[in-house]
Amino acid sequence: MISEEYRGAKQWSRDKQAVFAVIWISFLCAAVGTMVFFAFFDPFDLIAVFDPDLNIGRDAGYAVGFFFFWILSLMCSGITAFLVRTAPKRDAKHRE
Amino acid sequence: MNNPQPAPLYESQKKIYPREIGGRFADLSKLATVTLLGLFYLVPWLMWDDRQAFLFDLPARKFYLLGLTLWPQDFPYLALLLIIAALSLFFFTALAGRLWCGFACPQTVWTEAFIWMEQLTEGKRSQRMKLDKAPWSWNKIRRKGSKQFLWIAFSIWTGFTFVGYFEPIRELNQQFMTLTVSGWTAFWGLFYGFATYGNAGYMREQVCKYMCPYARFQSAMFDKDTLIISYDEKRGEPRGGRKRSVDPKLAGLGDCIDCQLCVQVCPTGIDIREGLQYECIACAACIDACDSVMDKMNYPRGLVRYTTEHSLNSKETHVIRPRMMVYGALLIVLIGALVSSMALRTPIILDVIRDRNSLYRELPGDLIENIYTLKVINQSNDERVFKLSVEGVQGIHLDGVSDEVVVDGGGVLSLPVRVRVDREYAQGIMNIDFVVEAMDDSGDIRVEDSRFLGPSP
Repeated sequence: MISEEYRGAKQWSRDKQAVFAVIWISFLCAAVGTMVFFAFFDPFDLIAVFDPDLNIGRDAGYAVGFFFFWILSLMCSGITAFLVRTAPKRDAKHRE
Repeated sequence: MNNPQPAPLYESQKKIYPREIGGRFADLSKLATVTLLGLFYLVPWLMWDDRQAFLFDLPARKFYLLGLTLWPQDFPYLALLLIIAALSLFFFTALAGRLWCGFACPQTVWTEAFIWMEQLTEGKRSQRMKLDKAPWSWNKIRRKGSKQFLWIAFSIWTGFTFVGYFEPIRELNQQFMTLTVSGWTAFWGLFYGFATYGNAGYMREQVCKYMCPYARFQSAMFDKDTLIISYDEKRGEPRGGRKRSVDPKLAGLGDCIDCQLCVQVCPTGIDIREGLQYECIACAACIDACDSVMDKMNYPRGLVRYTTEHSLNSKETHVIRPRMMVYGALLIVLIGALVSSMALRTPIILDVIRDRNSLYRELPGDLIENIYTLKVINQSNDERVFKLSVEGVQGIHLDGVSDEVVVDGGGVLSLPVRVRVDREYAQGIMNIDFVVEAMDDSGDIRVEDSRFLGPSP
């Protein structure tokens, strides 16, 4: 049966769905955050604030900023997804 | 949840082998793929005068769009552009469903290209399925190997083209050819390349199903007049196999011959006959498949077709309706705002930074002095002469700055200035305006406000 081939083709495991959704959505948020943030702040100015002797270029500044935002949003949506996924189920007799 | 059975956590995931199909919509989709990918790979190579026509020069913090140079201070334009893009998506979704998903989304377009390379090396659907089941052999290694080679080469090309929007692509190409690409450039090129490889080669429809927020909320834009791809249940059912010579009416059958072709061609592996599903990306492959079968059976086309819920229920479809008018009006207003503000834009930027280290200085001769740094940015492409002045308080004047300053085309002039006010007028916190005026007949002028601090009254 041809339609039989597709049984099971539709599902990623719930955990896998959560992991990839978290990675992708936090990536998008980090991209937006980076864009807005660096539209207002020049990495050079920020480097000067942290450590004037630090000799890195703007591209490194952008990269650090992007990964900062990505890790931040990964933690945020990752922990949220974890809490939602592992929340205690309601008592069976209260269901339905 | 009304489904009492928990979804299995580790269900084995089966691969979807979309079957190739020709037809009207397949042609349209190929056209869209070739056009969009063509644009993506070509545009960074276009030149405008003697620089790249489209370059988002992040290291220099300048965006070049044809003759236009945008600065970080022009960020509102970008924000407005993104809002317009989102609103257009809503508009077209309400009008014609998931056109974006089926024809224009990068995920769809690159997946299409990757499937094409897969067919080139591994053959048609049945051959691919057989190949995957077969034990490893020289033939399998050769086919799989050449597919990987094509995929990886294409991904790397994609990644570095992407970086070419942010760094001059000609220099990048030279560095690439001589293997002297610098660290971060190489990193982003490979990063984007790897994402393309993973998304278009392996994850494919799973991205749409599990990772795409638009796919989940697009149904909110749908109404009964939205164009959707649907199976005409009234005409098709009861489905069943039959010989071509059999009259379906006499046999008590509908027009669907249950050939399963619409299921086989579906890149997301759904059965369109089960109704509108959120997995459907509206690629219209099932329409092509069904039309080809209807032609063979000598039945009229359109058992699976673009239609609306109203039309399926034999009601009238309204293209113009409140939802469309609201989206349309908003779009027109925003596009008008963007175009007019860009057309009326004064190509001068003035930033005023007050010296934070001192409040004010008392000078002999009963003068109060504040220090500022002015940044004059000339956004035009030619050298210009500007006149600087300050106003807002009686007797306020600039000290130690020549009246006229010259700024190169696209250049920034950073200028420390001393502003002085007679003591009798300098009291507390006062608002002042810095003015920069072009010394030509353009009439371009830019005013930026700041504070002047004096002793408390």
